[in-house]
Amino acid sequence: MKQSQFEAEHAELWREIDAIIAGASLQTEELPAYYRRLCQCLALALQRGYSPTLTDYLQRMAFDCHSRIYGAVVERPMRLRAWLNVELPRRVRQEWRLLLVITLAFWGVALLCGLLVWWKPYLAYSFMSAGELSTMHQMYQPGAVNIGRGGADGDFAMFGFYIWNNVSIDFRTFASGLLAGIPALLSVMFNGVNGGVVAGWLSLDPATRGTFWPFVVTHSSFEIYGLMLSGVAGMRLGLVLIKPGRLSRRHALFAAGRRMFPVIVGAALLTFIAAFFEAFWSANTAVPEVVKYSVAACCWTGLTAYFIFAGRGAGPGADGANDAEGRDAA
Amino acid sequence: MLDGRLSLTTPEGVRLSLTPAGPGARALAWLVDGVIWVVCLWIMLVIMGMLGKVGQSLILIWVFLANWGYPVICEVYFGGRTIGKRVAGIRVLRSDGLPVGWRESGIRNLLMVVDFMPVVYLTGLISMIYDDQFRRLGDIVARTQVVYVEKPPARTVLPKAAPLPLPFPLTPEEQRVLVDLFERERALPPGRLAELGSIAHELTGLYDGESLERMRSYVAGLVQ
Repeated sequence: MKQSQFEAEHAELWREIDAIIAGASLQTEELPAYYRRLCQCLALALQRGYSPTLTDYLQRMAFDCHSRIYGAVVERPMRLRAWLNVELPRRVRQEWRLLLVITLAFWGVALLCGLLVWWKPYLAYSFMSAGELSTMHQMYQPGAVNIGRGGADGDFAMFGFYIWNNVSIDFRTFASGLLAGIPALLSVMFNGVNGGVVAGWLSLDPATRGTFWPFVVTHSSFEIYGLMLSGVAGMRLGLVLIKPGRLSRRHALFAAGRRMFPVIVGAALLTFIAAFFEAFWSANTAVPEVVKYSVAACCWTGLTAYFIFAGRGAGPGADGANDAEGRDAA
Repeated sequence: MLDGRLSLTTPEGVRLSLTPAGPGARALAWLVDGVIWVVCLWIMLVIMGMLGKVGQSLILIWVFLANWGYPVICEVYFGGRTIGKRVAGIRVLRSDGLPVGWRESGIRNLLMVVDFMPVVYLTGLISMIYDDQFRRLGDIVARTQVVYVEKPPARTVLPKAAPLPLPFPLTPEEQRVLVDLFERERALPPGRLAELGSIAHELTGLYDGESLERMRSYVAGLVQ
């Protein structure tokens, strides 16, 4: 068949497909059938040596149809809920060894530094400069209008800072983990040192002790869990690079990235919540200390219980197949 | 293949080809996005400066969204292209040729941090140089691919001529080359066309312009 005959014969089909791709036609349910006919056209055009502009045109159209048909996202109602209820806690439990390492890295280091400073206060100066320590001290003076911040700034003013600073720390911890996991671990440890020294230093003075602990105790639950999760996710990426198991490094990295994505999203979410608490709850001097401590106790036990118990025995998660794939990779 | 294009085979047995975008085009996209970022930040600073402390907070929230959210939202909702990528004529796809989703886009943009280290995408550049598909680390982990957006080719109408049958059968590939010549005729200088006519002496038995006209007739015979 001559090319011009061929073009005339199928012009109608190509017009229809063009219209569907451009969004001008509503007959989208016809697209798969049209697409199969288009593929046949393309195969014929290639086999018969029709001109390159024609085959390029058909190829382009085939590509658009392919993206449209196979790229269509399957409706998955309650996706986020399934993620939060099942996948996130499951993935975290799967990585319990790393979680243990990260927990030790954070709490071990923080406790150690805190006790060191408590025991020999002058040691604080080897971690932080005198200026930083005295600013901290002033920020938590009982007389300060708004505890934990520089001055009489509104709560909302600090909210933006917490979001930008804290969530970015999580993201950087995760990403830098790709370099063999060490930077992620160091980032967690560094935050542990910081927290430990500040807590130890402020606990020395009874005045600041009474303001510091009620301030941090609530939001730190979300913030520290967030940091630890991003540390776990980052370390997993790095470890997979060192020990890819039976997969090639590329495949192993891909599988680990896929598996850790819910974890890093969970970390970001927790840190968001922490920012809300830190901005609007922690610094609120109107709330009695007892209430703050009880809310904090609820947050800490709630979160811990969530990671221990959520998603157990609920059947496979929204993408259970990936879970299996992930386990094989690990 | 020699031309560096990626060839994907679909379930229908059709081959789709993609052209990976190199560091140059991607740097341009990044620069354009960077300039937009700076301009927007400057505007935000002016506006939010009037709002005092609350404005400062809003700026930081904006910086957060612009840094981490903007590329992901652009890639998921606007066909894999940020404004910079649009200018550079490139887009992000999954390496199976489909549009990126939240996970792919999220991972590749989070890992931008590593690709940026130690200065201005040095790690990413090294990774792109060593990878045969110009992928930076983020692309490798997320399994994505930055490709050129190919413009749909304009369908040219072949010049009319009196059709003639071929003196001997040509393979489809040879027919294709012949038709291609006349589809690109307007872009070629006359001297080169005459030269090509002489090269085709074996087919037409003629030289220069005459040979070219003869081939035109053959093409008309092939197409019409």
